[in-house]
Order: sequence, then structure tokens, then C-alpha cells
Amino acid sequence: MSRLELISPEGLRIDGRRPNELRKLTAKVNVLSQADGSAYLEQGNTKVLAAVYGPGEPRQRSKVVHDRSFISVEFNIAPFSAGERRKRTKGDKRSLELAYTIKETFEAVVITTQFPRSQINIYLQVLQADGGTLPACINASTLALVNAGIPMLDYVCACSAGSIEKTPILDINYVEESSDSPDVTVAYLPKVGKVALLQMEARLHIDVFEKVVALGTDGCIEMRSKLDTVIRQGMQQLVNQLEQ
Amino acid sequence: MQVSFSAPRAAPPVTVHHGDMDMDTDQTHIVTPGESITSDMQYMRGHGTRLDESSDPPILTSTLAGHVSRVNKLVSVKPLKARYTGDIGDIVVGRIVDVGQKRWKVDIGSKGDAVLQLSSINLPGGVQRRKLESDEKQMRTFFAEGDVLVAEVQSFFADGVCNLHTRSLNFCKLRNGSFVVVPPRLIQRTRSHFHSLPCGVDVILGLNGYVWVSKTVRKGGRHNETKVGLDEDAVDAEMVYSNKNEASAINKDERLAVARVCNCIAALAHEFKYINDTIIVYAYEASLAYPDVQDLLKLNVMEHITREAYEQMKNA
Amino acid sequence: MQVSTNEREFVLEALRSGIRVDGRKPLGLRTVDIDIGADYGHVNVRLGKTQAMVQVMAEIVAPYPDRPTEGQVIIHSELSPMATRNESIKSAETELTINRMLERIIRKSRAIETEGLCIVAGHKVWRIVINIHFLDNDGNLLDAACIGVMAALLHFRRPDVTVIGQEVTVHTIEERNPVALSINHVPICVSFAFLDDGQHPVLDPTLLEEQLCEGDMMIAVNAHREICAIQKAGGLGMETSQLMLCTTVALEKGQEITEMIQKALAEAKTKML
Repeated sequence: MSRLELISPEGLRIDGRRPNELRKLTAKVNVLSQADGSAYLEQGNTKVLAAVYGPGEPRQRSKVVHDRSFISVEFNIAPFSAGERRKRTKGDKRSLELAYTIKETFEAVVITTQFPRSQINIYLQVLQADGGTLPACINASTLALVNAGIPMLDYVCACSAGSIEKTPILDINYVEESSDSPDVTVAYLPKVGKVALLQMEARLHIDVFEKVVALGTDGCIEMRSKLDTVIRQGMQQLVNQLEQ
Repeated sequence: MQVSFSAPRAAPPVTVHHGDMDMDTDQTHIVTPGESITSDMQYMRGHGTRLDESSDPPILTSTLAGHVSRVNKLVSVKPLKARYTGDIGDIVVGRIVDVGQKRWKVDIGSKGDAVLQLSSINLPGGVQRRKLESDEKQMRTFFAEGDVLVAEVQSFFADGVCNLHTRSLNFCKLRNGSFVVVPPRLIQRTRSHFHSLPCGVDVILGLNGYVWVSKTVRKGGRHNETKVGLDEDAVDAEMVYSNKNEASAINKDERLAVARVCNCIAALAHEFKYINDTIIVYAYEASLAYPDVQDLLKLNVMEHITREAYEQMKNA
Repeated sequence: MQVSTNEREFVLEALRSGIRVDGRKPLGLRTVDIDIGADYGHVNVRLGKTQAMVQVMAEIVAPYPDRPTEGQVIIHSELSPMATRNESIKSAETELTINRMLERIIRKSRAIETEGLCIVAGHKVWRIVINIHFLDNDGNLLDAACIGVMAALLHFRRPDVTVIGQEVTVHTIEERNPVALSINHVPICVSFAFLDDGQHPVLDPTLLEEQLCEGDMMIAVNAHREICAIQKAGGLGMETSQLMLCTTVALEKGQEITEMIQKALAEAKTKML
């Protein structure tokens, strides 16, 4: 099997990006009529739909917390989302772990103490997976939560980063992910300046690791301005209609 | 069958505000979560804001995406879309979701189901009669799961749950009509929320965004606030808690009128316009240009009637 | 299980004066006790009062169709009800997190050389099954499990095989000496809990500290100063500098623990001889 050249001699990656370039991001809010907040997000070829319901009456009595709201995340990956059709779409360990990770991330950022004894539901549907599923889901959830009018400390912006032959790269696509390149996912609160989530797989030397994490947080800061524009556009549209 | 397509709308241009907000101008700024509003310490923080103490001086930061509103020294952020949070005295339309011990749980689209206690409703046989044990056991003869009712917010419990009451003749179980949901932001606070439109349709605009559209009830009915001197003791149990629509008495035209008004309200909500009785009437009149009521479901028709209604409102 | 406000205050006050409730320094590790069993691949680990039992087995199976020359590594981890006082919904999520983290540490970082597990390409490969049973939960199950798994894998010997064409002969222990697994590197997991608004990270948290913590982080390192896996999911937001500090501490502790494992294995070897 010939080794795919992940970085060309000119320094371009297989999809033509430079190592520190994010993929094209397009997103829209208010896409679902029934949900309190909803967002559709495309990061490169990865496409995710997020819906938020809440805060509302808790449906799972056993999980009710007396002094704050609890967040429940359901993560679904469509069978047609990858190259090969998936047989098991729900309940597999990876999906459960992703849902749990996202829940933990947002429980620390959403100001849940304002809604005791209630439940916030986040539903995620991955329509196309081309690398960076977790960051895309986190970004989509952020948009949907802000769209639903749920108070948060800051935008949770997420980005994946890795390293190919000691060069840190930003926003990993599927091919780079499938190779043995390490995969670091960072979720950052850009205005607050704190890391909400840090996840890493495969081996990375400590010196390179620092650079990769720094690149990841830079990517997150850039992501925030893009997500912010999407929210403002959504709001401006409604405001224009209201006040014309 | 005709299938129609409509192109997506272009996103409007956006201006992003940088730096500290000038609190003295009356311009409404849009802020997003994490954005700082002001570091001037003279302002108190209201809903949608938090104090970021990690910097010195502490900065008032937004937690929501919405407009900054300043009332004297209170700064708060009003979001465009949020779940209904009640106020005492609000008229709301709700749906019963649970029948419990001496109380019902009512879904009013807020962060928790509201509570309607047995002691807060009108019992048949007169307002003053005492509660009997048999009432508790027969709670479902008054309200059962799924019933739609209109009520007023009486108070709040300590954990923020609304306490409703229906202790007036206008409040009761709703019949002969349809239920429409609109964003709560679009319902403005007005003197009255019960409207009788000239087309023979009654509309109740709940402040929680739940709307009831029904055929106008004749005299002696429940929505008659203006009727003076009604004998309060003679609440007719049959009328108030009945589960029967006046099936035979509603003819096709009346049903179409109700459907037409529902579609008009849905169109106004879709175009994100404030909803009140005047604009509903204008929208209804504009919609008469489309004799087939189901045409009102088309996007371009919705746009058209909303625009016309809005124009009329402005000119009026 | 909820912790009372008084207990919480006591723990935090103690931390602020630089000492933990069990007397340790904030970055101190509990006593590690590695008990190498008589059978190959059987290890009992104690980390303070936390106890885990690890068993490694090998069986011959057909390889995955898309990886015909690689062996398989399966990790089963079970949080037995005997380990905790009350079983709650949290334990299902804890079990999932531990399992996924171990998969990352052992499988994704390629601790075991899977190509070396191939017997007949496309037909027969070795499948290494790692079973972990948690017997006692006093916090930090993941670190205890990781120590146990690495010790067990280093201790384990699989039967020797002779391949002639397509015929495979598996030799018993009496016939031929069993063969060790080829281990690429030894990843060790070090967990931190963040308390008191992130100002006092503690290493190797006990069950009480885990329940009180506002956030946590698990770092897997190896002797080559490489980071093998990191999981900091949610919880209190931390600054990048603080996380880097924890990583540096993890590298040191990882080195210490690796030496402990080597020592325990050497002792077991001398005992056997």
C-alpha cells in the first residue's frame, strides 16, 4: 500500500489547505420550527444538525437535580454519513461516549443554576462525517443553545488539530484522521480564555503537543468570530422582520 | 398535484459592535454570550447578564444573544427567542398534562409545567361552595389530560413554577376551535387578550405564545367579559367543563373562517411580526383575496398577506 | 451519593493549606501495590484502597477483513457492584469513560505490536483479551486499571506456534516456552481532579475528592516523553498553562510508576526461578 503524502513538499495538505487553515464553515440557525433552538453547520464536508429543547419539564425524573438544570445529549450518526453504510447507528460505545463528552462540556458552560429542576435536551444528527465530527457537533450545539436563548458563559468553540511529521495542522479531515496522525480536539471559551474540553489520541511528544494545543486554541478563537456572525445574522433577520 | 419551490432568503448584512458600549445613547445593540457590555460599575445587572470578576474592574458580560436594554441603572439583555417566563396577572392558554392530588399540571411552554390547584378553579354549583372530598376523586370530570384551558397567572412558587387560577367567568376549558403556537415574543401585553373578530371568530392570545381560535360563542357564553351583572353563583357546570363541541352547530363556512384565521396567525408568526387583534383582522381581509384557504399555507402568500396587513397597520 | 457542605468545606480548607484529607501532598500518589499472580497475565493492583484485578488471555481467531495481517486487542472492563456502596446512573457512564480511555491508551496508541500477533495472514491471528474487574472503588479506577493492564501485558506469555504453510501447531507450555508480547511502549495513565475553582489540582483523587471536584483530566504518558492520550471532558474551564503544568507533572509520575512496574515484574521473575 503506497503511503499517501499528507503534506506535499510545498507545504499543502491533500485538500489544498495550509497547515494552519480552517476548513470552510457555513452555518445557519432557526432551521427547525419545533425546537426552541436549532442550527445546521457544515465544516468542510462534515455536516451536522443540532436541535435544543428547553429548559423544560424534566422527562427523566431520576436525573432531576434540585438546584440546577441537567443537560441530556442524544447523538445520532446517519448510516449514510460515511463511505460505508453503518449498520449500528445508536447505542454503540463511541456514540455514547461522544454524547457524554458533549454533555459534560456544556454542563460547565451553560448557566444551569438559573433553571432548577428542569431539563435541557440537545439532539445531534450527523449527516455527513468527513473528520472532525466532535468539534462540529460542539459548534453546532453552541449555535443551537444560543439560538434557544439559554444563558451561557461564552461560545464553546471547538477545533481539531494534529501533527504530520512534526508539523502541527489544524482542522483534521477524514483522510488525515484515518492515518496514524495524532488527533487532538480542543473546545475553548475564547472570551473567558479557558479550555472546556481537551481530548487526544495516538502518541505525541510533549514539545510538539504544546504547539498543537496552541494551534488548536487559535483555531477556536477564529471559530468564535465565524459562529458569532451566524448568530448575529439570524438575529438581524428576525429583528428586520419585526421592525421592518 | 402542484408542487411549488421557493428560493432561500439571503442573509442580511450584519454590523458587529466592538469595545465598550456607549450606555448613554438609546441605540439598541445586539450582544452575544461572552461579550462585554460595560465596565462602568454604576450599572446593576439584570437578566441575561453576569459579572465577570476575573478582570479589574469587573466587566458586565452578556450571557444571551439579544438586545441590551437599559432602564435607569438596570442593564439587561432581552433575547429574541426564549421560553416564556411568566408574570403575575398574565393571561395564558395551557394544556393539561397531568392530574394529581388536588392539582393539575399545565403545560404553558415555560421552563416547568404550571400548577392549577383544585382550590383555584370555579366549582359547579357556585363560586362560594365548599370543596368536597368527592371533588378530589373526580378531578377528571373538571379537567382531564389533554384539555386546553385559559387561565391567569396568580403567583409563583418558590422554585419559579407558575400558579394559575381560573376564578373568573372568562377562564375555562376551551372548545369549538383550534390551537396555534407562536413565539411568545410576538404577543404584546394589551388591555384585553380575548378578541371577538368581525368574521365570527374568537381569538384568545395567550402571553405564553399559545393561541386559541374558535367560533364565536353566542350570548350566555364564556368569553363575554363585557356582560354586566352576570350571576356569579350560577356557573353552569355543563357549559364550563363540557367536553362536547357544538358539533351540529358549526357549519362548514364557520370552520373555514376559523381555519383562515389560524393560517393568518401562522403567517404572521412565520414572518415574525407582532400579533394583535388589529393585524389579524387586516391579515384576514388581505387573505380573502385567496378564496381557497389552503393557499394561505404557501410561503409567497404568507409574505403577501403579512405585508399588506402591516402596510394597513402603518397607515391606520 | 451527595457530600455534605461541611465535608466539602473541610476538604477545601485542608487543600488551601497544602494538605489533603488523607495526609498526602496535592500531587502525591497513593501507595501502589502490584501483585503479580502465578498465572501469566494475572495481576492484582491496589492504588491506596482502590483495587482492580486484570487478566490477559490469548485466543486464535480470524482477522478483521480490512486488516488481514494484524492481531486484535479487546478490552473488557467491568465495574462490579461490589466495588461501590450505591450503584447509580453515574456508574454506567464511569464504566464507559474508563473503557473508552483504556481503548485509547492501549489500542489507539499501539502499545502492543499487532502485526506481531499474526500467525497466518488472512486466516489466523492472535486475539489478546484483557479483562479488568474493579473490586474496590476508592477513586481513580482508571489509573489503577492502566497500571494493572500494562503489568499484565508485560507479564503475559502466549503459547508458541509453528507455522508450516497453512498448518498451525500450537505448542503447550510444556513443549516450548511461551512467548512474550511485543510491547512498543508502556503508556501509564495519571489522573487529576480540579478543586476549589481550579486553583488546587490534585493527583490520584480519592472517591471523596472525585465527588467534590469541579473538573478532571486524565493524561496517559510513556517513558519517551510522549503523550499517548488526554481526556479533559467538560468540567471547570482551565487555562492552557495550567493544563501544560499538569502534563509535565504527569510525565514525572509516569516515569515513577513505570519503574515500579518493572521492579514488581523483576521480583516476580526471581520468585518463579
